[in-house]
Amino acid sequence: MTGRNTKTLWLALAVAVALLWTFLPMYWVVKYAFMTKTEIARFPPMLYPPDPMLASFFNIFGFDYTTAEGTVFKASGQARQIILGLRNSLIVALVVTAITTLVVVPLSYVFARLQFPFKGKLLAAILLSVSLPPVSTLIPFYTLYVQLGLTGTLFGLIVVTLTITIPIVAWMLIGFFRNLPPVELLARVDGFSRLYTLTRIIVPMARSGIMVAAVIAFLFSWNEYVYAQILVTGSNAVTLPAAMSGFLFQVPEPAQLAASLLLSLLPPFCIAFFLQKHIAEMHIA
Amino acid sequence: MADTARSAPSPPPRTAEISTLSFALIISVPVLIFLLVVVAYPLAYAFYLSFHEIRFFGGYSATWNGLANYSKVFSDQSFWSSLGRTLRFTVETVILTLAVGLGLALILKHLPAKWRWLRALIILPWAVSPYGAGIFFTYLGRGQTGIGTAVAGWFGSDHTVNLISARFVVEYLAVGAAWNMAPLVAFFLLANMLTTPARLYDLAKIDQMSRLETFWHVTLPPLRFTLFVFSCITTVLAMKTFDYIFTATQGGPGGASAVLTYTLYKISFVNLDLGYGAAMSFFLLAVILGATGLLYLLWGRKEERQ
Repeated sequence: MTGRNTKTLWLALAVAVALLWTFLPMYWVVKYAFMTKTEIARFPPMLYPPDPMLASFFNIFGFDYTTAEGTVFKASGQARQIILGLRNSLIVALVVTAITTLVVVPLSYVFARLQFPFKGKLLAAILLSVSLPPVSTLIPFYTLYVQLGLTGTLFGLIVVTLTITIPIVAWMLIGFFRNLPPVELLARVDGFSRLYTLTRIIVPMARSGIMVAAVIAFLFSWNEYVYAQILVTGSNAVTLPAAMSGFLFQVPEPAQLAASLLLSLLPPFCIAFFLQKHIAEMHIA
Repeated sequence: MADTARSAPSPPPRTAEISTLSFALIISVPVLIFLLVVVAYPLAYAFYLSFHEIRFFGGYSATWNGLANYSKVFSDQSFWSSLGRTLRFTVETVILTLAVGLGLALILKHLPAKWRWLRALIILPWAVSPYGAGIFFTYLGRGQTGIGTAVAGWFGSDHTVNLISARFVVEYLAVGAAWNMAPLVAFFLLANMLTTPARLYDLAKIDQMSRLETFWHVTLPPLRFTLFVFSCITTVLAMKTFDYIFTATQGGPGGASAVLTYTLYKISFVNLDLGYGAAMSFFLLAVILGATGLLYLLWGRKEERQ
């Protein structure tokens, strides 16, 4: 009995360490969202907001905030960028997710299950594009976009984001499709066409894998910063991370940075919650 | 294949069957053309730039200078030191990510049913963007705002404890990168662990294996392929990473965390030396491909054979 108790104790300790590891870095910045500038600048740093308030959340959306004592916290000059960024990030992420899923599911099926000439070389090209660092592809894209007038447009950003999501999602899904039971021959014997086999048999079987792929595409697109910073900052097509960077670099505003960062974390957190339920069902990699 | 054209009276016409090749082509050609454009275009353009000297002052000009950019890379001290930082950051990140991922997976596996909801919390850092992780770790580590100074304050000290020091900044950044990546590794490992039959653990008990032996001989073997795949993924991501380091330290303090991607950014976007930046970026690409190739040769081949 005591052996079991010590085991529980060790487990509880391990869980506590894991939770501290998980939340400390986030908490350390997110707490700024509820603090004033003077509280943030206090030395040594404060562990928690002494008098939590929501002013920053109003400010980043362009509203002044008056406390009960009559102190006024002015609306942020970046509010327009933040609102635009929120809208644009959503549009880009949803469009990218839809296109990526539609394109990648058949593609990875073909690569995982069928034999055809040049397959190895084509696969190598996909893997190569996963390895390309964005810093080195930025210049070519930038010059091309300047010539085509695509800088500062959502369309341009969507295209460039697809270049990130398609290869990496394909990479993950190919492994997943490979592990499905071989049902094509059976379907063939039953006289199903290839397209029918894919849409009515394989896709339903692979549902959890496809959902995970869609979610990963959404995350990569929502979190993309490098291209957005160069291609759309300051324009009407600005995305949330690029809009937020104004609080980090130009005039540091930790409270408003933390508030908008917290906001930007909500969709990924909902998705991660959904994802952890599904990963257990797909044994890929 | 041509059975639809056979003699009447035929059964209701089946969908005409196409060959494997044409089916594969129809599905993949549009995507492959897109990928060709997005892979080949930047590569070709960077290749062109790398043989030229690009000037912006006094009007744009591109002057052919052969292999000069490439040979300059070899004699550039900042290239070698950046490469060193990239390798150091990558090795540390990969080891930490796999170790933390394995640790988290073991904890999650042993959670009793009523604590299962904790799984949903442990995965959260993975959903944070590298950009966001950079912001978290810059405030957490900096002397003025960081946890180090706060902890020193508890013990009555008014010293500033800066975790982002020139000496250990790369290690600190590797911890942050592992924080960001490890939960995903943990979940894939967990999915693998749950497929290991409980029978094997009973057998290990009968054989009176110690806890360490059980871990080594029962738990670990089915995980090795997943660990290999994630060591590759983490290697590529760590070598490519830019936004995380850009928001966390801006290459500082004093260039101590200027990894190769950051140096490339400075050459191309601050100094606007596009030709030289393009040439150096091919070295980075070679390092990424070389590292994953080496991992495959040393480790992956062995795992695949089993």
